[in-house]
Amino acid sequence: MSIKLRDLIRSVRSCKTAAEERSVISRESAMIRTAIREEQEQFRHRNVAKLLFMHMLGYPTHFGQLECLKLIASPHFPEKRIGYLGLMLLLSEEADVLMLATNSLKNDLGHGNQFIVGLALCTIGNLATPDMSRDLATEVDKHLRSGSPYIRKKAALAMARCLTKCPDMVEDFVDRVVSLLKDRSHGVLVTAVQLMSCICEIDPAIGRQAFVRLVPSLVRLLRNLLSMGYSPEHDVSGISDPFLQVHLLRLLRVLGEGNEEASEQMNDILAQVATNTETAKNAGNAILYECVQTIMSVESEEGLRVLAINILGRFLLNRDNNIRYVALNTLGKVVKQDAAAVQRHRNTIVECLKDPDVSIRTRALDLIFKLVTPENVEALTAELLNYLVVAQGENRSDICTRALAVVDGFSPSERWRVDTLITLLTIAGKDCDDRVRASAIVYIAGSADDVKAYAVHKLVKAMRDDDGSQEGLLVVAVWCIGEFGDMLLSQCDAPSGVTYQALEPMSVIDEVEKVIKRVTCPSTVKQRSLTCFAKLTDRFSSAPPAVLDRLREKVRKYESSMNLEMQIRACEYSELMRDGRGALARMPVVDPKVTARRQARGGSVIDVGAVSSAAMPQKSGPGAVADVQGGGDLLDLLDLGGGGAPAPAQQVAPAAQQQMPQNPTQSSDADLLSDIFAAPMPGAAPIQPVAPVVGGGGGGG
Amino acid sequence: TFLFPVDIMPLRFCLMVNKQGQTRLASYYEWMPIAERTALESEIIRKCLSRSELQCSFVEHRGYKVIYRRYASLFFIVGVDTVEENELGILEFIHALVETLDKYFESVCELDIMFNLEKAHFILDEMVMNGCIIETNK
Repeated sequence: MSIKLRDLIRSVRSCKTAAEERSVISRESAMIRTAIREEQEQFRHRNVAKLLFMHMLGYPTHFGQLECLKLIASPHFPEKRIGYLGLMLLLSEEADVLMLATNSLKNDLGHGNQFIVGLALCTIGNLATPDMSRDLATEVDKHLRSGSPYIRKKAALAMARCLTKCPDMVEDFVDRVVSLLKDRSHGVLVTAVQLMSCICEIDPAIGRQAFVRLVPSLVRLLRNLLSMGYSPEHDVSGISDPFLQVHLLRLLRVLGEGNEEASEQMNDILAQVATNTETAKNAGNAILYECVQTIMSVESEEGLRVLAINILGRFLLNRDNNIRYVALNTLGKVVKQDAAAVQRHRNTIVECLKDPDVSIRTRALDLIFKLVTPENVEALTAELLNYLVVAQGENRSDICTRALAVVDGFSPSERWRVDTLITLLTIAGKDCDDRVRASAIVYIAGSADDVKAYAVHKLVKAMRDDDGSQEGLLVVAVWCIGEFGDMLLSQCDAPSGVTYQALEPMSVIDEVEKVIKRVTCPSTVKQRSLTCFAKLTDRFSSAPPAVLDRLREKVRKYESSMNLEMQIRACEYSELMRDGRGALARMPVVDPKVTARRQARGGSVIDVGAVSSAAMPQKSGPGAVADVQGGGDLLDLLDLGGGGAPAPAQQVAPAAQQQMPQNPTQSSDADLLSDIFAAPMPGAAPIQPVAPVVGGGGGGG
Repeated sequence: TFLFPVDIMPLRFCLMVNKQGQTRLASYYEWMPIAERTALESEIIRKCLSRSELQCSFVEHRGYKVIYRRYASLFFIVGVDTVEENELGILEFIHALVETLDKYFESVCELDIMFNLEKAHFILDEMVMNGCIIETNK
């Protein structure tokens, strides 16, 4: 027996579990399907209503689509209504069944009863496909001139949809639209304005050309609205028809953009709206918001723009979160045009960073990044780092990357830059991506000696304080300790008054050891620690032999490690430590511009000539910087004229601004030596990526 | 390109969801497969529920900006697509919708909408067509 919709709803509501609900629905579904098969007419509309309810809950209802069509064809109004509603809710544009409805729609469009016509127009407005639009457009057009405003407004939006689907029809119907503007009914006006905006969006050329001369009438309409007395049917909290006002402003925006003459005609009314609208209620604020957007988009005069930004500034101080959000959003877009004015509100924006509402915080963050200038970079970055401490997971890596861009672009000094990067790593080491780490190392390596010393000391301290969670920090710290370990042996005075004590070589080794002994220590850190120890044998060469022995012992321990990577490195470093011939010496500084260029080229080309020759103590010749490809398959070795073997230690250089890959298998010592005894290759020319050197032979030690 | 572009279809969807996450009314102005709809609705309501009174009424979710307001036990949720839409205007629209329903049902409550789903739909369809606001006159 067919049950009423209410009863179905009631029984679903009384279900205690999801399984119960599913069984009720499937039972009802089966009954409806039977009813459809048996062509029961009297309960058809009830069944479709039930289907709509089930569809809303999320159950499949496609078997009901044809039923909707049958209902539409029925002469009874309630059935028609449910049929159309079902059509709109259950079907989409792509449904083939929709084509069958076209005929019914056409008939209903010609019906005497205006409500039925309204139904048809509504459906066309929501669902029309391009083919249907072509068929029915002329019918819809006739209704644009209908006697009843009820029909006219629906026809206007139905037309908008048809034109959106068939842009080529725009020219035929454009003129019709113009006459709609003279209508008295606000419903028609609102839809007409929207139709015009639609046309301008579909086909800007035609739209603007046709409507630009209407700007004075639009302005007049707006003015009437403002000066209109209280009218109960359009009033919303004291303002007459804010929806129409907002749409008019929007249309003016579209028409005035890029058009001097039109903008001039709008100036007065925009100023009037901006100054006279009440801001106590949301409706007023909505209008002001739209007004501000329009002012900033059209070619308005300077005074007007200043007015607009001041309004936004006022919004920012409003206690209502919505208003502040809107203000931040808009300021973000206008900052390109008028940065100075927005700077004035910088402090308020920074305050917004601390707001408990996450939407506001995100917007404020966006805005702050756009506001950075060389003058305020230090203050702003400090605020940003503060924010980073409390920021949530998804944002953190994004903030880090953008902070990096800021540091790249606006650093006032080397020391500040290095400092900021280290702080960044300390706060969010595990979230920042490899570019941040790479840049940190590049900058540290490229800075003056005292900054280097300061950086290394600071890193050691940070590493000590860290609990092992900030991987980025550990990676950078370990690398720097290895590279610049000799600087740790002397005291360093930081500008903030802190003095870093000189460290004994043993204690340096202890620090690193503590880090890698932790169970949670990631393998990338452990790998780099091997590099570090190897290099330290060179940096601490003047230390007592006990130190060097200990270092060697540490590396040797991993020669039988289960991890292949560690094993390879350990074996090779042991060899190098025995007789490295300068392989473990200081690395040359990477010029970030070169690597950026190289990255852009996409190849792993070594450009020795471009490597900046900072005065690095080298035993022989310029070192080679191997640029490891992300895939890690190609090994680029530059052979040097005599002397230094291409150090495998250099391959681990994070100076490659790619991901830290598992290092490719490195050739064994035997292969290296054979390369050296081969004819030396010209060092200055860029070398094309060579095939992996691991030809047979050592097979990676 | 426009600094503040105007969208053809301001509203993408309009939902009324109660605090337990049950959808009471759903009107989509662009096609979305049904599995996606249910997922979308439950995620959005979860986000809305986790926000306090003092926070913004605007949330960003999966490429849509969602504007919501709570009336008694029901959340009125409207999704818009571009970032350029006038959010405050949409809030006004939600309020106008609620007032209209109130006038029709005489002090509307969630049960009214539940049991008169088709009427609520008709009212909504009078006010919005294809994502554009037609009529706001009560």
